[in-house]
Amino acid sequence: MKYDHYDLIVVGTGFASTFFLKKYLEKNRSVKKILVLERGHLFPHAERLKIKKGEHSDFSKFDEPWEKAIINKNPEKRWPFTTGFGGCSNCWWGCTPRFMPSDFKMKTLFGVADDWPVSYEDLDRYYYEAEELMSISGPEDTPFPRKGKYPLPPHNFTAVDKILNEKYGNKYISQPTARASRSTKGRNACFANSTCDICPANAKFTVENSSIGVYENEQIELVYGAQVYSLLTAGGIARKVNYVKDGKDCQISGEVIILGANPIFNTNILLNSGDKNRFTGKGFGEQLGMQVLIYLDNLKNTGGSTWVNANGYMLYDGTHRKDYAACLIETNNAPYYIRLERGKWLNMASFRMLFEDLPLDSNYITTTENRLVPEVNFNTRSDYTLKAIENMKKTLPDILSCLPVEKLKYLDPFPNEGHIIGGTRMGLSAADSVVDKNMIHHQYRNVFVLGAGSFTTFSASNPTLTLAALSLYSADNSF
Amino acid sequence: MKRRQFITLAGIGTGLLILPPILYTTSPSLRKYASKLILDELYYLKINPKEVEQYVEDYFNASGNNMMVNLKWKSYYFLRLNAEKSNQILELIKYFLLSSDFFIHKTDESKPVSYLGLYNPYKSPIPNPYSFVLYPSETPNT
Repeated sequence: MKYDHYDLIVVGTGFASTFFLKKYLEKNRSVKKILVLERGHLFPHAERLKIKKGEHSDFSKFDEPWEKAIINKNPEKRWPFTTGFGGCSNCWWGCTPRFMPSDFKMKTLFGVADDWPVSYEDLDRYYYEAEELMSISGPEDTPFPRKGKYPLPPHNFTAVDKILNEKYGNKYISQPTARASRSTKGRNACFANSTCDICPANAKFTVENSSIGVYENEQIELVYGAQVYSLLTAGGIARKVNYVKDGKDCQISGEVIILGANPIFNTNILLNSGDKNRFTGKGFGEQLGMQVLIYLDNLKNTGGSTWVNANGYMLYDGTHRKDYAACLIETNNAPYYIRLERGKWLNMASFRMLFEDLPLDSNYITTTENRLVPEVNFNTRSDYTLKAIENMKKTLPDILSCLPVEKLKYLDPFPNEGHIIGGTRMGLSAADSVVDKNMIHHQYRNVFVLGAGSFTTFSASNPTLTLAALSLYSADNSF
Repeated sequence: MKRRQFITLAGIGTGLLILPPILYTTSPSLRKYASKLILDELYYLKINPKEVEQYVEDYFNASGNNMMVNLKWKSYYFLRLNAEKSNQILELIKYFLLSSDFFIHKTDESKPVSYLGLYNPYKSPIPNPYSFVLYPSETPNT
């Protein structure tokens, strides 16, 4: 370490930390001492590609399987994530719709769960900023309030998308995405390979290819292989950060602490620090996703230019959310859903249905005897979500009546969505939440707990753009 | 499901006791049966059997192989299962088409189908069969 004491200590280098630091560095013109502790290492995209091609990479030693990083008590449920520089920007699939305004007001509008302490309007300008930083491709007309063009043009519709867009207008749109529709700074255009975790074309936004320039800033000292497990607190303030590096216990002191690990590890750090808030670790989960295969008569679903070609909002908003969950439709362009009947090989559309879920106390994260390894307990899907699946099955044939549908095939729910949410929810006070609207811990007032862990409710939309906007919002309104 | 087929499938599930053991010891190898299944299903395409055999070799080498797998595929053929009735056969045949130039030729049945190597977006030249690479859009989105 260069110093004994830092102005800012940041844990993790994923979306949450990176967007927070981007805004923080913009706002603070004076020289600061900033320490970033990253548990993993830089594992470049080019090296990850080598492994996908079956070639040798010296960096493969840095690949940490998520299964070994946590104790997952429910093997039916999976929680894939990537550790190392850039965090889950390395493995995400680049879907970036905004949340709907109603997602922030679930209690007021539908009498369900709680309202967020921030609104869509509060986040609006930060959504634009995050979309600009990620060079998002998207359409002009969206179901959520948004003016003007996205940084990049939308992806091409398929023949099926065109019919649905004609019928449903801005309730069926080209998906806003960080998979570039045109080559842009540091990235190539998407080729619809549909294997986005490690993009073969380097078309997807990652922290590594972002050109955001945060970690190159000379005020920042980035330390790899430093695994934070707790904070030393006294008098409602976090004084020091405890971590392990090279097998040794280490400690460093800081003025402000930013927890930007994923929700599982942010929770683990807080619980290991003696956090007694009754919501810490509770209400953890993610959306439920399931696939519907749509067999078409005499209609090829061709021409799409990315993996998720479109988003459908026909089952998203409405008074039904008093009774059952919103559902976001992702129209996939996946090569493996071809047909074998002669002449019908490409007469297939596939919808991934994303259902919001509720933060339930029965789903929680806790600590273990190993301070570095948290335990994940996911036990229950809400009736709110399960009821929405049944409604979808009743309603979908009518929604698709504009298409020549032969039959629908509903596949089993996926074991994961890659959207780890909750555990450090946001609210008005410690009586209803862990952090406030700026994601500052209600008890430890110099600790920020960033990321999707802070979401008050889950929404049906993909979380990354919103968590990036929240990081920008927090840094802008806190310094 | 026909009763005879049901009994045979039940045999597979309980240790492969019902099919005559002679079938397993005297028949050609599993890979030959997998190749036959593909050629039977895609009878209307012009496919060189040697290329199907190469595909099957690559497919099973990539996905692992053992005695139980051999018996399973042999059984599929004797039971006259096809892609409609078995997900594994469906996957085998789908993956063959994805690994060939069939979609590059825009599903033109009149053209010979060549195997180009196992479908792999990181290694092979075969694009997503649904994609704009093969079917460019005439009217851009707004």
